[in-house]
Amino acid sequence: MLKLNTKFISTASIAAAVAVLTVGCMQNNAEPTGTSTVNGKPTIDGGVIYPVANDKTGPYYVNPQVAADASKIYNGRVPTANEIKVWDKDIQAGGIGLPEGSGSVEDGEEIYEAKCVMCHGDFGSGGGGYPALSKGNAYELQKTLTNNRWHDPEADGPVRVFGSYWPQLSTLWWYIKDGMPHPKSKTLTDDQVYALTAYILNINEIEINGEEIDDEFVLNRENFSKIVMPNVNGFVPKIDGPKGLDNVRTFYANPKNFGAIKVKADERCMKDCQEKTVVVTRIQGAGISNFLPPMSDVRDLPKEDNKAEVKVNVKEVYNNTCAMCHSSYLSPGSADWKPYLSEGMETVYKKAIHGTEGGMPAKGGADLSDANFKLVVDYIVHGK
Amino acid sequence: MDNKSQHDKTIDRREFFRKSAAASVAALAGTSVLSSDAMADDPAIMHHVPWGQTWGDPVTKNRYGKPSKYEHNVTRRNTKLLASGNFRASIAVTPIQESMGIITPNGLFFSRSHGGVAHVDPSMYRLMIHGLVEKPIVLTLEQLKKYPSVTRTHFIECPANGGQEWRGPQFNSLQFAKGFMSCAEWTGVYVKTILADLGLKPEAQWMLTEGSDNSEMGRTVPIDKVLDDAMIVWGQNGEALRPEQGYPVRLLLPGWEGNLCVKWLKRLEFSNEPWYAKEETSKYTALKPTGKAIQHFYANEVNSTVTSPSPEIPWTNLNDGDIVEIEGLAWSGMGTITGVDLSFDGGNSYVEAKLKGLVLPKSWTRWSYMHTYKKGEKLLLTSRAMDDAGYIQPTIDQEVSVMGVESVYHRNAVETWEVTETGKVNHVQMRTPGGVKNA
Repeated sequence: MLKLNTKFISTASIAAAVAVLTVGCMQNNAEPTGTSTVNGKPTIDGGVIYPVANDKTGPYYVNPQVAADASKIYNGRVPTANEIKVWDKDIQAGGIGLPEGSGSVEDGEEIYEAKCVMCHGDFGSGGGGYPALSKGNAYELQKTLTNNRWHDPEADGPVRVFGSYWPQLSTLWWYIKDGMPHPKSKTLTDDQVYALTAYILNINEIEINGEEIDDEFVLNRENFSKIVMPNVNGFVPKIDGPKGLDNVRTFYANPKNFGAIKVKADERCMKDCQEKTVVVTRIQGAGISNFLPPMSDVRDLPKEDNKAEVKVNVKEVYNNTCAMCHSSYLSPGSADWKPYLSEGMETVYKKAIHGTEGGMPAKGGADLSDANFKLVVDYIVHGK
Repeated sequence: MDNKSQHDKTIDRREFFRKSAAASVAALAGTSVLSSDAMADDPAIMHHVPWGQTWGDPVTKNRYGKPSKYEHNVTRRNTKLLASGNFRASIAVTPIQESMGIITPNGLFFSRSHGGVAHVDPSMYRLMIHGLVEKPIVLTLEQLKKYPSVTRTHFIECPANGGQEWRGPQFNSLQFAKGFMSCAEWTGVYVKTILADLGLKPEAQWMLTEGSDNSEMGRTVPIDKVLDDAMIVWGQNGEALRPEQGYPVRLLLPGWEGNLCVKWLKRLEFSNEPWYAKEETSKYTALKPTGKAIQHFYANEVNSTVTSPSPEIPWTNLNDGDIVEIEGLAWSGMGTITGVDLSFDGGNSYVEAKLKGLVLPKSWTRWSYMHTYKKGEKLLLTSRAMDDAGYIQPTIDQEVSVMGVESVYHRNAVETWEVTETGKVNHVQMRTPGGVKNA
């Protein structure tokens, strides 16, 4: 056991007291406080920043040598023109950065049916766990954006799909090229992306030069910039042009713009703060509680998880992994399977285990042995 | 006295529980301090324990340590409501009801991805910085880590934290109501340190940040943040980033929306015009009742929650007169927490709670209030935080009057736990039915 050394403690106490006095005199070490303006302009996010002063930013010390030396550190190398070209694939508003190419609505529909429909549904209507790409005429649906379910939770909410909500067409092209098909991204050619974009414009009934994009339409780099999305002016603050940053700074300088409240600490309400209309609002019904794994704070030993012994629960795997895509199309026991079954079960297994061009991920993303996954495939194909 | 041997155990245990039960009854009846004779001996003390009489594991086991197997219920969790993209465009949330202090262990840090968790080979890792700079650069991981480092403690929060509950409470759970966030100590380099030698051109106003993952996650960052505290980080709580947080490198924009802190970072490009990436138009925009949506909604506003008690860990085991700590978290992406108030009546009246531990900018901050529990009392516990930018958490009515109920993102109104007479804790909201339209 530790024996206290009284002599040591008293010495330490004096040292501590001296230290306190010393710190008290060292004004330079005071923590710099936050400021909500930078060079006379409001901060970009409505918050404060902590400028470096006396070698500190807020409570953190910084090494002043770094700022002095930083302009002499160049640890990498200059990328080659080719390297920049292959990575610089982003598309900005108006189609800046688009490659040459073109694609028709007709081709787009064909690609969609082959690679997209299993997750995004017929005509982009959406599927389990993947977003809808269209809900109908974009101009009509754009008007639903003022819908707000304040009074009636059962009322129609706003429809936020590509056609009705997105401000720029460039976003769609760029995202399809980089992120789609979701399980196998960056596998579409530029022409295929033009075609899919054209098809999605078509199913949203978007117009170009005042005319609805029809089945004959061909999208290319030239006519791309002529398409104005219905909700192009639906977003605040305005970020484009030389005033963009100033617009953002001004927007966040006013708490009312984003539902925030500023108050001096000694003026905040501490008593009788609530309106008489306020009531306790409870969770409706059972609420959401299908948590994975189920909620528990018990400290016990986990159930032994001996995978070799566990017989796979095919329905559970189906529900957790497969149902998102295989509920509307190629669902368990569905007649959709007929053409696939004609290729033989071994081919179906092979595709299921290794994934397909059409977007089926290897084993649907499930962490199962081949043998166990075949049982799941049997269930989806035969419905039992 | 020696410990007893095993065969006496059963009898002792029976005895213990019989006497303990009697003691509880006595306590309820208001009997004063029990004489020690009335208490049975606790078998957990009276007997040797199994781990005390055999060898434990050799130190050669678990080269990378794991939590005790008894802690197996302390995990990230999912819900099917948020299962999109076969759990690849989805979120697993942090059990903040079990969190201690202000640091989230790396294995429990919330995990959100748009195309699954990527596994990047560090030898193939490259970061390119180009666009409106005098001298572009490409860096290997080794070269990046040679820059002088800084270490900062910051929370990262998904702006959809609490976003499922604009129209009313849905989750009777702290983990799901507020667990779309975590806090860690990050190590990396300020972006401005690297830029010092690249020569940012004066017309550069925006920075594209892009990931190398399946979704090629992209976002636009204003130059103000880049030149303030934006960091490129590779360290998380003293070790390499976890794959779920972007191994080997992510962007960190302290206090700002988690999705802006792009993981598996691949490319930064400077431009005079912003981008319109999918995750800054289709999502992460807050639709107001006017039909206009807020875009570029960067900072997570001042917020707080009671963490103890919680729906997961209620007060059902408290006795009358127990002195118990009400504990919680407060955080602001706009600055430093300056104070937290606690209400016992759902926000009609407040008392000041105490901050404790380190109070750091854009970090989780712990707060505390000591309470004497009265058996059978019914409470509505509501916390309300303030920050040094001058913001205070709005009431639900105040926030909804401006933002409506369709915004999905950036909900930071005060939240309430109802403590029932049995000590059970339920998530409720204090609000005017139907909402207060535009104040």
